[in-house]
Amino acid sequence: MTIKIKINDQPLEVPEGINILEAALGNQIPLEHFCYHRYLPVAGNCRTCMVELEGPRGRALTIACNTKVTEGMVIYTNSPGAQTAQKSALEFLLLDHPLDCPICDKAGECKLQDNYMKYGLYDSERMVPRYFKGGKDLSIGEHIILDQERCVLCTRCIRFVDEVTETSELGIIHRGHESTLTTFPGKALDNAYSGNTTDICPVGALTLKEFRFKQRVWFLKKTESICTKCARGCNLWIEQNRETVFRLMPRENPEINRTWICNEGRMSFNEINDHRIVKSQLYGQVDDLGSMVEKIQNILEGVEKEKILGIASPWATLEDNFILRKLFKNRWNLDHLVSLLPPLGESDSILRLPQKYPNGVGLQVLEIPELSKSIIEKLNDRHFEVLLVMENEFWQFASLELQQSLFTIKHIIVLTTHQSDVFQKIEAVFPVRAFAEKYGTLINAMGYLQKINPAINSYPEIVESSIFIARLAQKMKIPGFEFETPVEVFNALSQEQSIFPKIRFHQIPSHGLFIPLDTNGVAPAPFSGHQKVDNVFVRGHQFK
Amino acid sequence: MQFEPQLTKRFNIENSYTLNVALQHGAYASLPKLFSKKPEEVIEEIKISGLKGRGGAGFPCGMKWSFIPKNSTKPIYLVVNGDEGEPGTFSDRAILSKDPHLLLEGVIAAAYAIQAHVAYIYVRGEFFREIQILNQAVEEAKNSGYLGSKIQGSDFQLEVFIHQGAGAYICGEETGLLESLEGKKGQPRIKPPFPAIQGLFGCPTIVNNVKTLSSVPWIIANGGAAYAAIGTKDSTGTHIFGLSGHVQNGGYWELPFGMPMLEFIETYGRGVKNGKLKAVIPGGSSTPVLTAQECEDLTLSYESMAKHGTFLGTGGAIVINDQTDMPQILKNLTHFYAHESCGQCTPCREGTAWENRLLQKIIQGEATARELDLMVEIAGNMEGKTICALAAACAMPVRSFIKKFRGEFEKYLKPSGVTVGIQL
Repeated sequence: MTIKIKINDQPLEVPEGINILEAALGNQIPLEHFCYHRYLPVAGNCRTCMVELEGPRGRALTIACNTKVTEGMVIYTNSPGAQTAQKSALEFLLLDHPLDCPICDKAGECKLQDNYMKYGLYDSERMVPRYFKGGKDLSIGEHIILDQERCVLCTRCIRFVDEVTETSELGIIHRGHESTLTTFPGKALDNAYSGNTTDICPVGALTLKEFRFKQRVWFLKKTESICTKCARGCNLWIEQNRETVFRLMPRENPEINRTWICNEGRMSFNEINDHRIVKSQLYGQVDDLGSMVEKIQNILEGVEKEKILGIASPWATLEDNFILRKLFKNRWNLDHLVSLLPPLGESDSILRLPQKYPNGVGLQVLEIPELSKSIIEKLNDRHFEVLLVMENEFWQFASLELQQSLFTIKHIIVLTTHQSDVFQKIEAVFPVRAFAEKYGTLINAMGYLQKINPAINSYPEIVESSIFIARLAQKMKIPGFEFETPVEVFNALSQEQSIFPKIRFHQIPSHGLFIPLDTNGVAPAPFSGHQKVDNVFVRGHQFK
Repeated sequence: MQFEPQLTKRFNIENSYTLNVALQHGAYASLPKLFSKKPEEVIEEIKISGLKGRGGAGFPCGMKWSFIPKNSTKPIYLVVNGDEGEPGTFSDRAILSKDPHLLLEGVIAAAYAIQAHVAYIYVRGEFFREIQILNQAVEEAKNSGYLGSKIQGSDFQLEVFIHQGAGAYICGEETGLLESLEGKKGQPRIKPPFPAIQGLFGCPTIVNNVKTLSSVPWIIANGGAAYAAIGTKDSTGTHIFGLSGHVQNGGYWELPFGMPMLEFIETYGRGVKNGKLKAVIPGGSSTPVLTAQECEDLTLSYESMAKHGTFLGTGGAIVINDQTDMPQILKNLTHFYAHESCGQCTPCREGTAWENRLLQKIIQGEATARELDLMVEIAGNMEGKTICALAAACAMPVRSFIKKFRGEFEKYLKPSGVTVGIQL
C-alpha cells in the first residue's frame, strides 16, 4: 500500500506506515538526523530532524523520525521554521563539542561535520567559556575507546546494547548538560557485537582500538564483499588503501545482517593482510612456479584414475569448487572428491551461526559430500597416491588420526592462501588469491547467493584457485577449461547447474539473490535480532 | 468573598487527616452517589463541570478521562501526580498533609470513572511528613472499607499505592513521572503514544494532579452544573491560589476563579513588602512574568492570564517588589532549569545551561548587548522543540524578563558602543 504525501511541494508516493524521515531520505530529500537509526527504536532526543507539518492551525514543528506519514500529509523540510529548528539543534549539539577533528578518527564520516556543512554553516557564537566534561580516552572494552566530551548523547549505542545484544552495558549518568555516557559500574563493553557501537556512533565518541589512528577515512576505498567467518554471510565493505585492508564495515542488508556484524568478522581484516603465502613452495622451501607446475602436471598425468583424492572447501567460492569438481568429473573419479568441515563453533540468536565457513551450502549445491567412511577406509588402506587440497586448511581442525593418514599420501598438492608450519610435510604448495582479492560467489545458510569482489590486488602474479586449476587442466589437454576469470566460470556454472536461474555474474544484486533450496542442508535461519522492523524503505538508500 | 470551600473545608479542623475526624466532617460522603452512576456518567459530569487540570497545563479533565480506550484488554491505571516541584507552588502539599482523605475520595471517583483498579500516588521525595500522613490515611481507609475490594458495598475494587519520588523536578512531567514510577531514570517519553493509550507499564493510564482529583468529590456530590456556576465562564470552580515573595502575608487560600490579582495581593497577602509592586510571576516560576501595570486588569483565571500572554500554571504567584534586581531573579531561575533539565533533548540540555552561563557573564559585567540578544535567540530555539515543556519553562521567563525589564539587564552590560536590539 502506498499513500500520497507532499514534501516541499513535491508530490510523492511512499509506503504506508513509514516515518517522515524515511520517506524524505528514500526520495533523496536531505534531512539532518543523529539519533535515528533504522534498526533501533526511535528515541527522538537529538531534535535535528525537525520538519513543519501543515495542519488545521497552521504549520507545526515536529520530529520526522517519530511521525508516521499519513494520506495527504503536507511536509516541509526546507521552510524557514524547519530550517531554523534544524540549524539551532545542530548549534546546541556543537556548543561544547571539542574541535579535535584533526585528531579524531571519525573525521570524514562524522555526522556533526557532515550536517554542519550541509545544514549548519552559521557563525560560531558561544560567548562563554567552553564547558569540559568527562575523559578523552577511556578504554571501556577490549575493542572500544570512549571519548566522553565528543559524545552527543544520541543514545544509539545504548539502544544497541539494550535492544540488539540485550547486554545493557552502557548508560548515561548525571542530568542536563552534565549528562555523560559511560559503562555501568563493573561492566565492560565486551559483547560479541561491541564493534557495531563504533559504526553507529555519529561522532567520534566511540572508536575502535584496531582502527584508531591507523588511517584517514577519506583515503579508504570501499569494495562490496561478504564476511567469510560463518555461514550467515554478513554483507561487508572492505576498506583499503594502498593494498592494505584497514577495516571491515557492515554493509546494510535488511534480510541478512541489517547494519550489524560480529566482532569476529570485523577483526578478520588482519587475516587479509598478514601471513599470506605468495610464492609456491616445495616441502616448505620457496621454489620456481614454472618447474613446480610441470612437476605436478607430470604427477597428475601419471596417476591412476582411482588413486587421486580431492578435498574441496567450504571456504572456497562456488567457482573454485565447481572447477575442481569438473576436473574430477572429467578426468578422475568424482566419488573421490570430498569436503572437510570444521567442528561447529559459537553461535547466538543475533547473527553468528555455528558453521564457521561461508559456503557450506555451495558444496551441497554442487553435491560434493563430506568425507565418508568408505574414503577413510581407503585412506587407511593407503589406496591413494595423490592428494589435491583446495583452500582447506584441514591441519587446523581435523583429528590427528585423520591428519596422519592424509599426510601418508605420497604426493600432496595444496592450493592455499596463508602460511603454515605443515608445509614442510607437503610436496607442493601453490599460493592462490584470498577472498578480498577475487571475484566469486558464496551461498549463505539462508540460501542467498552473494558475490565477493576484489578489493585489493597486492599479488597480481597469483591467480584464483579456479583459474589455477583451469590452467592446469588446459596444460593437461583436458577440454572444457577455457576460463580466464572466475566471472566466466560463474557464467558457465549458472548455465550448467539447474538450481540457479540462468543469470550472469554481474546480474547478481549486491544484496544477494535468494535461491529456494530444497537441499536437506543447513536450515535457513531468518534474521532473529530482537527489534522488529516494519515498513522500512528497504532498497531506497544505504542507511548510515 | 462568600463561597463554599471545597478543597480546604477541613483544613482548620484539628487532626483532619485522620479518618475519624474526616468522616465526621463529610469525607467520603460522595461515594454512594458515585456508585449509583455509571462510569460514563461520571466522566460526563466532569465534562459538564469544566474542571481543568490543576497541574499547570490546564487540560480539560473530563476529556482526558474519555481518552481511555473502551474495552481495553490491558489493566488501566490511575496515577496521581503529587510531585509538586514548581517553584512558588505549595498547595498540593497542604492537601496531602491536611486532608488526604479528600484526595483519596477523588482517587476513588476518578478510578471508578476510568475503571482503574490500581492507583499510584507519586509524591515528591522531599515530602517526608506528607508521605507518612498519606500512608496512614491509605491504611485507615483500607481498614474501614473505603479502599480494597467491594468499596462501601459496591462492586468496585481499588488498590492505592504510595510512591516516593527521589527529588527531581522533571518527574512532575507526566511521562517522566511514569518512567520514574517504573523504576527508570526520570526522563519524559516521546509522544505519541500518549499515556491514555500506552502509559504506565505500557497500559492505558491517566495522570492527574492532586488538586484536580481533590476537586472531583464536590462535583460528584453537587453535580457538574453547580461546579460550572462557580468562578468564571472558562475557569470554573475553585482553586488553591498561593502567594509568595515580597508580600506581608504569604500563604495559600482557596478562592473561586476570577478574583483580580491586585485585590488578591492586597486582601490576602496584605500588600507588598518593603516597597511597591514591580512584577508578578503568576503561576509558578515557568510562567512569563507580568509587570505591575499589566497586573492592573489581571484576574485569577485561565482566560485573563492567556490574554496577558502568560499562564495560570499552578496558581502559585510570586510577587516581586521594586527593590529587586530582575537579572538576579532570572539567574536563579535559569540555574534551576539548567540543574533540573533531564538531559535528553539537545535544545534543553544545552540551552538551559547556556542561558545560565550567559546570564552569569552578563551579571559579572563582562557582556555586551550581543549576549543579551543571544539569550533571547536561544530561548526561541529551545521553546517548542523538545519532548516535554521544560525547555519552554526556561525559555518563557528568559524571554519575558528580558523583554519587559531590558533596561535592568542593560545596566550590567559593558559600554560597547552600539546596542543592537532585536525584534521580540
